Amino acid sequence: MAAAEGQDTAPPFETTLAGVLDGAYATAYRLTGNAADAEDLVQDAALLAFRGYGGFRAGSNFRAWFYRILLNRFYSDYRRRRRRGVTVDLEGLPEAHLHERAEAHGLAGGQDVVGRMVAELDATTIGEALDALPDGFREVAALYFQQDLPYQEIAEMLEIPIGTVRSRLHRARGLLQRHLWDLAVERGIVPAAGGA
Amino acid sequence: MESPATMNCREAVRRLDDYVDRELGREELVQVQAHLECCTHCAGVYALEAGALAELKSKLRRISAPPDLLSRILARLEREPGRPSGTA
Repeated sequence: MAAAEGQDTAPPFETTLAGVLDGAYATAYRLTGNAADAEDLVQDAALLAFRGYGGFRAGSNFRAWFYRILLNRFYSDYRRRRRRGVTVDLEGLPEAHLHERAEAHGLAGGQDVVGRMVAELDATTIGEALDALPDGFREVAALYFQQDLPYQEIAEMLEIPIGTVRSRLHRARGLLQRHLWDLAVERGIVPAAGGA
Repeated sequence: MESPATMNCREAVRRLDDYVDRELGREELVQVQAHLECCTHCAGVYALEAGALAELKSKLRRISAPPDLLSRILARLEREPGRPSGTA
């Protein structure tokens, strides 16, 4: 949520914060990997933002400003605490990964099988797959998948060029799809290679 | 500007992510759109990718902050000395 445009004075901090809290928590959860650290991270970011709110420019994008604080706090203090599980590797990723997998399995009607795959994998599993993305990719993907933000806003939050957002997101989507497909095969949701 | 129909399958598929996200410039948007209208294969790829993406986003968005998080934050802020201007 952006602060109200055209006003000289920013709205009360509490009001503005409330509008971005769910999204900030979801992102923090994805970054830290657990609820306790996510809460602490959001609280720390809120405190820092509160202290700096006098300098926040009314009419500019509060969400982007607040997320930058949250992400910087994550990088400076929380990232090293994060316990990492499996990390997916970046090699050998085709374009249109899901479609290629579906077709390679003789599944001409790929939409059905991919739909089943996504429908049957629960949110926790999908979240863990997102968590397994390499550093740099995970942050972009978390902001994209959970907040549905445009590339430009993600670029502002992470303070990286929009082209980097685009390329990381493209890779992250492919990696996520590949990981989920492999999980779906393991769980018998879609047939293994060579199966019907 | 070239005719929209000049975009081949490889070029169209490479732009599908940006197309789904509405992040293409006008010219490329028109070209991809025109390609999808005349290419059944790529239209299938698009439908599959867009459908899977929407479902993934929907599932990943289901995380909400704990109901008392805001009040706990506000309580912590209350203890902050010298609240800056513009705050309640």
